Amino acid sequence: MNNLKIFQCENSIDGIFSAIYQAWSSGYGHANIRIEEQSENDNYTNITLFSDYIIVKTDFEQAMKVSQSIKSKISLEAYEMVCRVALSNYQSKGDLIYRFLILGFHVGSKVVGYLSNEVVNRVFKLNRYVNGEAHHIMGFLRFSEQENGILTSVIHPKNNILTLITPHFADRLPMERFVIIDGNRNICSLHLPGRPWVLAEVPNIKSTYHETIMDDNNDEYEELWRVFFDNIAIKERINPGLQRNNLPIRFRRDMTEFIPRENIQIL
Amino acid sequence: MIIQEGMTIQRKLEILSDAAKYDVACTSSGVDRKGTGTGMGNSLACGICHSFSEDGRCISLLKILFTNECIFDCKYCINRSSNDVVRASFTPTEVCELTMEFYRRNYIEGLFLSSGIMVSPNYTMELIFDALRMLRDEYQFSGYIHCKTIPGTDPALVEAIGWYADRMSVNLELPTASSLKQLAPHKNRKNILKPMRQIQLRRESNREYLGIYGGMKYPNEINNDTVYNKAFSNFNNRLNRLPKLCDTKKDNDINNLITSTSDITPYVKPPVTRSRYVPAGQSTQLIIGATDESDYHIMSVSEALYDGFDLKRVFYSAFMNVNNDSSLPSTQNGPPLLREHRLYQADWLLRFYGFRINELLSERTPNFNVLLDPKCDWALRNLDKFPVEVNKADYYTLLRVPGIGVNSARRIITARKSATLDFKDLKTLGIVLKRAVYFITCKGSMMYPIKLNEDFITRELLSVKDKLPFGIERDITYKQLSLFDDVSFHPDEEVKGMLLGGVQ
Repeated sequence: MNNLKIFQCENSIDGIFSAIYQAWSSGYGHANIRIEEQSENDNYTNITLFSDYIIVKTDFEQAMKVSQSIKSKISLEAYEMVCRVALSNYQSKGDLIYRFLILGFHVGSKVVGYLSNEVVNRVFKLNRYVNGEAHHIMGFLRFSEQENGILTSVIHPKNNILTLITPHFADRLPMERFVIIDGNRNICSLHLPGRPWVLAEVPNIKSTYHETIMDDNNDEYEELWRVFFDNIAIKERINPGLQRNNLPIRFRRDMTEFIPRENIQIL
Repeated sequence: MIIQEGMTIQRKLEILSDAAKYDVACTSSGVDRKGTGTGMGNSLACGICHSFSEDGRCISLLKILFTNECIFDCKYCINRSSNDVVRASFTPTEVCELTMEFYRRNYIEGLFLSSGIMVSPNYTMELIFDALRMLRDEYQFSGYIHCKTIPGTDPALVEAIGWYADRMSVNLELPTASSLKQLAPHKNRKNILKPMRQIQLRRESNREYLGIYGGMKYPNEINNDTVYNKAFSNFNNRLNRLPKLCDTKKDNDINNLITSTSDITPYVKPPVTRSRYVPAGQSTQLIIGATDESDYHIMSVSEALYDGFDLKRVFYSAFMNVNNDSSLPSTQNGPPLLREHRLYQADWLLRFYGFRINELLSERTPNFNVLLDPKCDWALRNLDKFPVEVNKADYYTLLRVPGIGVNSARRIITARKSATLDFKDLKTLGIVLKRAVYFITCKGSMMYPIKLNEDFITRELLSVKDKLPFGIERDITYKQLSLFDDVSFHPDEEVKGMLLGGVQ
């Protein structure tokens, strides 16, 4: 029987790496294997006929082995690329990583330069896409100060970039207590002064949570920021198209200066 | 002059951000600096844009004037002393508080502090220095700081501020000394170029010093080191050794400054530390369209500044007649945005593509083509250098192909190590072929049979819509150009008639 073997795994780096480990050691042959990760809302994609489904239990030891061999047999650069792909919202990223690694273990570190190869090219583009969004969010993220002094922020990124941006903020604001909430994935990262930051799940987060925190506090600096934002534009050069191109609408729901205020008092 | 006592911080911010908006530079790039672990702030070499204002420009720094009071009377400036506008000034503490609180909330990447001139250049710069020192030392801020230098400031102050700022800039404002005299009677060119040169030399000696010690030794170990003293004494000798600056003969100021053993010797011996002096380098700004200098003249000045003064950026600001001054050109139909855009394109060609300005423009064609970007224009005049074989050409040759930029060229170089590239592969690499297709071959053949004929390619390139930033299109009468489709026209001659040459 030459049925396609589909390895189903968790949608996480560890999950995908476990699946790759098990698929590789299964001996079915690369052509007969497909890796399928859960989509972000925990559903598997369409079930394919005439194929065997193998449920992969995430195994950290196996995942570690895979990441170790990527680092030692291919390169650190390739490992980072693969990780970013695993954090992306691409549909069949698990299988893409599998194909990338097949080539990578074959040719070694120079695989990242095989840009005209379709698999490598896809990995390259996804990598750029995830990096790009992380870079955007680093700029567009807004903290608002709560009454207890904690800085809170909500983001809605397309890719799971929370782990990519938090180190940046931990380095930048070492003396602050802050929370960054990923409103799309119900996860958040927490930072306390003098400690390493942590990732946590936040179940049952209201979609309007952000609006509530924004409304509850009367932070004068938020007001000052809006004043600055409105004044810095040169009226003769108003150009909403360019603004939209540089700062897509989807980011604006989480940005202080774009959240409409009912009671703005203008002097 | 209207001075209001007891203004709220909000009102001050309103006035002083509004007054600062005409400054173009808002980049936060050039320094990589990790956080200190105790204070606040770090810096990324790539820079981060935090927002985009309604005019589509990036907001990266808290761009404010320290004060909009001014004793100078520059015709183009909204804050000139003869204008009747509300005046306000921050205190150093207010600047620090605003910066810190904005930075904490991730609104900004740092501070951009410019200023009008209160009492005297030195008086104002001392206040600015206070603000920067307070921000760095007391507030422990290690984010980005861009500081404007007021022409005529004491060199000792310039020297001191440089240890606190990441980038410094002196605005050149106008390309020639004569137009500066005409529009900004209180400024003189020498006073602008002098601090620029001073900062450049200090940066060099600082780098040399850090280079010698790898930037890693502790200060007390090398306090009386002879090598270090030698590096410092070289400092003055190097004034003579610097390359001749500018080939535009008219530019006597720049030339004099470079060739003469000038008196710009820094007052203070540099502190022996590991810190870096103006690590992100210098920039400057030119106003475009207020006077009648040609693009060639403007770009020659830029080139001279890049070559001779080691500037990181020259910014171009489309002139707006904010004061409705009758002696200046009217900008009722909007600022000359297309011209500004072409200058930026050319600026990129100088900095990243290895072009010299003499290749792009000349005394005979002193302005950029309105219809084609500077690189296309150059390529059409140099068809003998094409087509270029993608699989063999070196990096700088690839960069000269219209449609291939820095990223594309790098990607081609990487990809062709593992495969011989075809047009299909170029598409996979994400290389836009609509312009490049007329100038390249893959494995020896072009994508379509194409005549390397100037008229033909010009016509084809004009049908590819020039990718202009949003909003610029409406300045140009694009539709009328279809008339030319049947006319054999040479960009050198016929198009010259179409050049806006100032786009006013």
